[in-house]
Amino acid sequence: MEIINQDSLVAPGDLNEAPISMTTTEGNLTGSWKFFSPCLQEKVSPCRTACPIQNNIAEYMYFLNQGEKDRALEILRESNPLPAITGRVCPRFCQQECNRLQLDQGVLIGSVERFLGDYGLKIPYPAPEKKRSERVAVVGSGPAGLAAAYFLARAGIQVTVYEKEAEPGGLLRWGIPEYRLPKDVLRQELDNLINSFNIGLECRQDMTSEKIEALSSDYQAVFCAPGLGASILPREFAGYDRVRQGLDLLYDLQQGRIPEGRRFAVIGGGNVAVDAARSLLRYGKEVEIIYRRTYAEMPAYPDEKRHLSEEGIPVQEQSLVTDITPHKGALRLSVSQAVKSEQGIVPGPVGSEQEVDVLVLAVGQTEHLRIEPKERLFVGGDLQLGASSVVEAMATGRQGATAILQQLDPEQEAPELPAPEPAAVNLTYVPRKKPLLLRETALEERVSGFVETDPGFSEDEAQLAAARCLSCGKCTACGLCWFFCPDVSIALETEADPPGVTIDSEHCKGCGLCAFVCPRGVIRMEED
Amino acid sequence: MNFMQNPPAQHTSEMLLGSDAIAYGVKLCRPEVIAAYPITPQTHIIETLSSMVDSGEMPSEYIKVESEMSAIAACFGSVAAGSRSFTATSSHGLALMHEMLHWFAASRFPLVMVNANRALGAPWNIWTDQSDSLAQRDTGWLQIYCETAQEALDTILLSYWLTERIMLPVMVMIDGFILSHTMEQLFVPEQDLADRFLPAYQAPYHLDTENPLSFGAAATPDNFYNLRKALAKTMKNVPKEIEEGAERFSRLFHRRYANLEGYRLEGAEVVIVSSGALTGTVRIAVDRLRDAGKKVGLVKLRLFRPFPREELLEMVQGVPDVLAFSRAVSYGAGGTLAQELRASLYHLESRPRIFDVIISLGGKEVFPETVIDVVQGMGGLSPVNSNWF
Ligand SMILES: Cc1cc2nc3c(=O)[nH]c(=O)nc-3n(C[C@H](O)[C@H](O)[C@H](O)COP(=O)(O)OP(=O)(O)OC[C@H]3O[C@@H](n4cnc5c(N)ncnc54)[C@H](O)[C@@H]3O)c2cc1C
Ligand code: SF4
Repeated sequence: MEIINQDSLVAPGDLNEAPISMTTTEGNLTGSWKFFSPCLQEKVSPCRTACPIQNNIAEYMYFLNQGEKDRALEILRESNPLPAITGRVCPRFCQQECNRLQLDQGVLIGSVERFLGDYGLKIPYPAPEKKRSERVAVVGSGPAGLAAAYFLARAGIQVTVYEKEAEPGGLLRWGIPEYRLPKDVLRQELDNLINSFNIGLECRQDMTSEKIEALSSDYQAVFCAPGLGASILPREFAGYDRVRQGLDLLYDLQQGRIPEGRRFAVIGGGNVAVDAARSLLRYGKEVEIIYRRTYAEMPAYPDEKRHLSEEGIPVQEQSLVTDITPHKGALRLSVSQAVKSEQGIVPGPVGSEQEVDVLVLAVGQTEHLRIEPKERLFVGGDLQLGASSVVEAMATGRQGATAILQQLDPEQEAPELPAPEPAAVNLTYVPRKKPLLLRETALEERVSGFVETDPGFSEDEAQLAAARCLSCGKCTACGLCWFFCPDVSIALETEADPPGVTIDSEHCKGCGLCAFVCPRGVIRMEED
Repeated sequence: MNFMQNPPAQHTSEMLLGSDAIAYGVKLCRPEVIAAYPITPQTHIIETLSSMVDSGEMPSEYIKVESEMSAIAACFGSVAAGSRSFTATSSHGLALMHEMLHWFAASRFPLVMVNANRALGAPWNIWTDQSDSLAQRDTGWLQIYCETAQEALDTILLSYWLTERIMLPVMVMIDGFILSHTMEQLFVPEQDLADRFLPAYQAPYHLDTENPLSFGAAATPDNFYNLRKALAKTMKNVPKEIEEGAERFSRLFHRRYANLEGYRLEGAEVVIVSSGALTGTVRIAVDRLRDAGKKVGLVKLRLFRPFPREELLEMVQGVPDVLAFSRAVSYGAGGTLAQELRASLYHLESRPRIFDVIISLGGKEVFPETVIDVVQGMGGLSPVNSNWF
């Protein structure tokens, strides 16, 4: 016991006065206390899961955010050989699942994809690692056929594509109009793909079932994706030369063959109807859509419908054309109100008459070729799926290519696509960002020609859009776990490739804070 | 201090709210971290600071927290990491911090916290009252009570200098509303002057992942006892350290603050001891009583913890009667200030009689007349076991 008085003062700030250990605490292996350990496990982002071709969005966005555009393109091309096209016309399945929708605004993935795709238009694909001697034929150069050709060629297979038309692309060329997919972009994208891999392209080859059979003797396998070449023609509309099929009309328009007449009515509510109507408007025609259900029920993509309304094309909803009569070089239509009954949608009592010069039908496509898949013959695209979308058709192309490669090489394991395991993200610590606005071409400019409705993103805008992506399921070494770990047991490896974190299991006490706070859901606690 | 008409060299003269005066003082000290939670009547201080941080005028990290407990805990973390930090609170907020106040001082972490004195409920009352800070007198913090906004501004600078020297936290008190919400003509030092007085904080110990040490981990009873003994020893040394600080401060800023300040003590038969802004009112009352021929003096108590016992002894030596003006009560014992004075002076051979006056609670107005009434009415009172309520 010592009496404290003025004479026995300790120097202020003396280290010995503070309750601090004299030596390092590193030797105290607090890790021995734990019964749960954090484990790093990257997951598949929900956007990737939603994407039919499983684009590795989280990964390419990460590299784009790191300023590595080429690497981002390379990752995108792993799964998508037509990004400049899908970036424009894909209905963006991915965006609907974006985790960021719960926070402020979802990432505009398609716009970033388009930017990267355009960037890649002039960048050739690297040559395949090895050349193989096998040859595979592809019938149809739509998105399904092209995707199959790509995945086969990338594996070193020699591919030849047989196409009925004079130019490749399928509905990308003859269906989707220029204001959504400029022909120049299409040409560059396809040229780059075909030239990079030296894919053989045989145009003007109208393949019959017999010819396709015959290919089997020259090739190790055949992938067949001729699409749905026939348009449905309801009986009551048959036999009038002022009645046109929407797809045929689009085909003509794309080649500059403009039909006569001023007043057009389009029957249908899908993409063909909307694209036909919008194209006709651009050629100065008076056009309206007649649809049997409500506007809200029209199956065309929401953006297409919005553009349709903006451009002032009227939609006569819940209406049925019950009769047509030629009348002084025009067509007189009897239009009834559509009512729902047990027999389906039937004409109601209320009706009216109207006159048009041309009636356009867009009520669906069906197969023009019947092909049964067999041992070395694979079928894909719309022919397999029914009318689908560009990216879904591409997915069948990839599946077909994978199946063919497996058949050629049964020893080789099929490349495994990641199992969809949604990342349990934690958005608590993610700063909110100002939503981005999509620019659109001014209305007057839009309707007076075929300029793209969506002008796309500048590089700066694309970077801003990418910067919103969290890269869910991927460790980006963001440092939140490092910040929260109360035991200083996490080290950030920002320079590593890929970047990540290492956990000092000797000192981690297993509290689980890191797993809880991780915005991207890549840390999981596992029982020891 | 002397009120000067023209600002001294390297100062600007400004009309400022007491709260803003403190914010300016804080800014001059360049804290790296500010973590605070709003509470009347302190809110203006951190509001001004937060807008200074927001505008980029002040390159500090401002941490928004969800309670005063978090505010002080965040400061605990930032100071442990070696950063100069600041917080401010009042009343219930300070009460909420109570546990961390012990941890701060006994961890030997430096911090400056401003407390705008305010009552605690019930009933709700937002006016000035020293119950909040005096209830924290045993936590190991230094406590300084300011009379004017200028004093408060200057005390921030002095307190940072001090806290980082003695490694004990400092609580600076202003009277809620009376100082926080009124304007005064102030001399604001230029940054360069402040920088010359207060060098950047070099933490003698801090969290370091390269050299992990345990801070505040379990200690044996003996260890604990010795650490607290060391804290008590440092407290004893504080008045001397303050003296040195005041000396350095006066050389640069041309004004000086003492732990205790005597006023008209010559031949005094009655001395009033008061603290905070109340002192200004007492000063006027003393002048009037002197004019009326009453030998009354005043001692302003600026430093409350550590209690400046030696200095007090010198001032009240031979004074027959001392009136302790308290703005806080220890119920069942009496006014806090009277208790402290009695404890300090008891050992004197000839000690003054000490009268316990609860001059105000919950912001009850004190006018010069109130003080004069108290002095004139004390004749009939016995200092033993009685307090003036
Ligand atoms: C007007 C319209 C707009 C659309 N808009 C979109 C959109 O915005 N986004 C979207 O994702 N999807 C859209 N789609 C759907 C999409 O275009 C199709 O789902 C997709 O193109 C189907 O791809 P595919 O490869 O199966 O067939 P197709 O694209 O139809 O390609 C088939 C190819 O096979 C060729 N072929 C046919 N028969 C033979 C034969 N006997 N011999 C040789 N070659 C033959 C054809 O000439 C054609 O080139 C739209 C469709 C239409 C009609
Ligand atoms: S934040 Fe990025 S990776 Fe995550 S779901 Fe959205 S787009 Fe996909």
